[in-house]
Amino acid sequence: MSITSNNEPQVLSARYMAWYRFSRNPSAVAGGLIVISVIFVAIFAPLLAPYPDDVGAAVNFRIRHMAPDGEHWMGTDKVGRDILTRVIFGFRISLLLVVGVLGFAVPIGTALGMLAGYFSGMTEKVITGFTNVMLAIPPLIMALAIGNVLEPNLVNAMLAITLLWWTWHARLIYRVSKSIATEDFVEAARLAGASHWHVLTREILPNCVSVISVKTTLDAAFVILFGATLSFLGLGVKPPTPDLGSMVADGRQFLPEMWWEVLGPGFAIFYATLGFNLLGDGLRDMFDVEV
Amino acid sequence: MSSLLEIQDLNVSFRNYGIQSNVLKDVELRIPEGGRVALIGETGSGKSVTSKTILGTLPENAIVESGSIRFEGEDVLALSQGKREAMKGTAFSIIMQDPLSSFNPVFRIGRHLDDVLRFADRRLGESSSVADRRRRIDRVLRQVQLSDTDRVFNAYPSQLSGGMRQRVLIGLALLHQPRLLIADEPGTALDVTTQDEIMKLINRLVSENGLSLLMITHNLGVVRKMADDIYVMRHGEIVEHGSLTTLFKTPQQAYTRELIAAIPPLYGPGVEDQEPVETEPIISLSNVSKSFQEKLLFGRGRSHLAVKDVSLSVGRGEIFGLAGESGSGKTTVARMIMGLIRATSGKIAVDGDAVGEKGQGPDFRRLIQIVYQNPGTSLNPKRTVGQTLSVPLRFAGLSGSEVEKRIHELLAHVELAPHYISKYPHELSGGQKQRVAIARALAADPKIIVLDEPTSALDVSVQKNVIDLLQRLRDELGLTFLFISHDLSLMRNFCSRIAIMLRGELVETGEPRAVFADPKHPYTRALIAAVPVMSDEEDRLKPKTSLEEQRRYLADTVA
Repeated sequence: MSITSNNEPQVLSARYMAWYRFSRNPSAVAGGLIVISVIFVAIFAPLLAPYPDDVGAAVNFRIRHMAPDGEHWMGTDKVGRDILTRVIFGFRISLLLVVGVLGFAVPIGTALGMLAGYFSGMTEKVITGFTNVMLAIPPLIMALAIGNVLEPNLVNAMLAITLLWWTWHARLIYRVSKSIATEDFVEAARLAGASHWHVLTREILPNCVSVISVKTTLDAAFVILFGATLSFLGLGVKPPTPDLGSMVADGRQFLPEMWWEVLGPGFAIFYATLGFNLLGDGLRDMFDVEV
Repeated sequence: MSSLLEIQDLNVSFRNYGIQSNVLKDVELRIPEGGRVALIGETGSGKSVTSKTILGTLPENAIVESGSIRFEGEDVLALSQGKREAMKGTAFSIIMQDPLSSFNPVFRIGRHLDDVLRFADRRLGESSSVADRRRRIDRVLRQVQLSDTDRVFNAYPSQLSGGMRQRVLIGLALLHQPRLLIADEPGTALDVTTQDEIMKLINRLVSENGLSLLMITHNLGVVRKMADDIYVMRHGEIVEHGSLTTLFKTPQQAYTRELIAAIPPLYGPGVEDQEPVETEPIISLSNVSKSFQEKLLFGRGRSHLAVKDVSLSVGRGEIFGLAGESGSGKTTVARMIMGLIRATSGKIAVDGDAVGEKGQGPDFRRLIQIVYQNPGTSLNPKRTVGQTLSVPLRFAGLSGSEVEKRIHELLAHVELAPHYISKYPHELSGGQKQRVAIARALAADPKIIVLDEPTSALDVSVQKNVIDLLQRLRDELGLTFLFISHDLSLMRNFCSRIAIMLRGELVETGEPRAVFADPKHPYTRALIAAVPVMSDEEDRLKPKTSLEEQRRYLADTVA
């Protein structure tokens, strides 16, 4: 018997209970605020950046390698561009990558996972088999291959990550929807004459939403990290576009004297990743799901 | 008689989502030395919270506001944490409700018992050797009538039957010879014949060892056999208290009277007879068998015959009851009739059409609908009542406004107000959810509804309302019910004909009046005799069954 009290007929809505759990979790709220700040900065980058001209191929040798001061809070880089400005615009690239990758990977992975979980037999075998094969390819090798065959740029980096990223979603949603498919309400809907399409989109999908949102939030952090790794290796965005990964790569050669050239973008990567991870963990506690 | 445990003015509240709710209000309860006390009430009445407060296992969000629990004169609520821990298992023990989930499946039974003993010894500051503990465990296992102690000791939980696991759980509670035994719905998860055995065992242990018993249950028939003193609980308050005979014969409170009246009688003047229905058959099975094949990696596994050569026919408008214990194949029969699984051999015809030969189109599916046992899992938690009900209607080709109109009609049929249309399942009570599930079954305009233990997850008073509703719907809409259950007293009153299944075979069929008055098959006799009833008259009217007969069908519960 569950310990509930029936003497007060007050029924709380699911939304209120979820919000209650979320808002009393300090790290989740902190994560949410960080993510909101990152998105805000990325959207209003041209208004917030102190030197919008430094985004491009601007050169200002008189002030190159300047340590942080009142005018340049994060210092300047090897050609005298303001690092803060480039970090602010760097968030744009990172978020673009997140939206691009997850915008494709999540729907594809969810759809395949649900199909495999709901239909048994051949469909299940083919999809899970293919997913397992794709999971065996090391992501970095795949990105290197695509970067070398096609030219290394943002779109191809996105393509490389997307090609492998959906597998994680497919696998998770497969497991979740397979257990939902055995619930009585799915059989009842089928007995009521509902089509497979109805069962997949109306009965199973709504029950996957919480899992998908937690997984997607946690994934955003990894995509940012992975994108930065690719740019660091020279497989991502082409210069002079400001990207957090390539900025770290550029600054690395001037270490340890010009530490600020790595610290600024490095901290930005850390900040965004931490935010998404905290938010994801908070959502996981709020929805009470396993990812 | 001096009292072993005395609860006074106990107030416990829970904090959930910033809202504080009083779960126990001024609870007073007294267990005399060697007495058997029952705490009865419906879901959410606070009876389990009471037992948890005694044991000291309340969840973190619970607050004991005031009151005292005196065990032999000492207030346990005022004791230090360590002293309180030491009382667990030695002063009082609990027998858990669910024999399966109470064991860790990866450890052997012996390990569970030994761990409990070892840690309890350590808490008491005693040291014990493995052999010594083993000797004590064997003694306890023999006490709970598990005579093959070696086999039980070395078995994994999954290798024992439900009845045997329940016995081991009782053994666990007895390991340290507690003074007070708390039994939280023991045997509820088991079949009636097994439950009967377990009740007898607990009774014997209590009287032989001079224990006191606190019995927590919602089953009044069980209470009659196992308690002398009864406390009735509702909404966290003790509404009535009295000895067994006075409370059952002359209940003072309206709530207690309702609770007793809601229980369907097995025999006597209160029994309702359903009129026999003489019509052409709508469902007929002839020589139907079903075997399940175990799937192995290579080759074929053993096959298991779930249904053996079953022939039956159900007339139009009948309420046909299929009774049997778990694993008897009653659900398999229903699923074959619904066309959800195919029969291995034999013929099934529904409404003149053979099932399983041509593909089951949407028309066939709508012909038979089902109401599941657990309304919690049969309704999609993410969809409102209106959305759930609209599915069968939209797939029957109704337009938007027609759907709306029909949903209102359906809600009226199941006696729910129109505003329930926008509610989610978690906002409804168990009985309301089951009404929605019934409305969904009706929405498809079926001729037959399979009722798969539709009331076993509900409280008795709610069960009565749902059964009345089903009865009315059958009369108004001319439906045929196939009622699957293990609750024989309910079936006696609700079904127009019943069939008893044992291990995949149909052992007896007939009108309830005839079957209950003069059961032909020894298993039917054993089954009816095991049903806990409300009065001595009913006990006398039960069929006589020999111990030997019972043993034959209970072979698996005693090692």
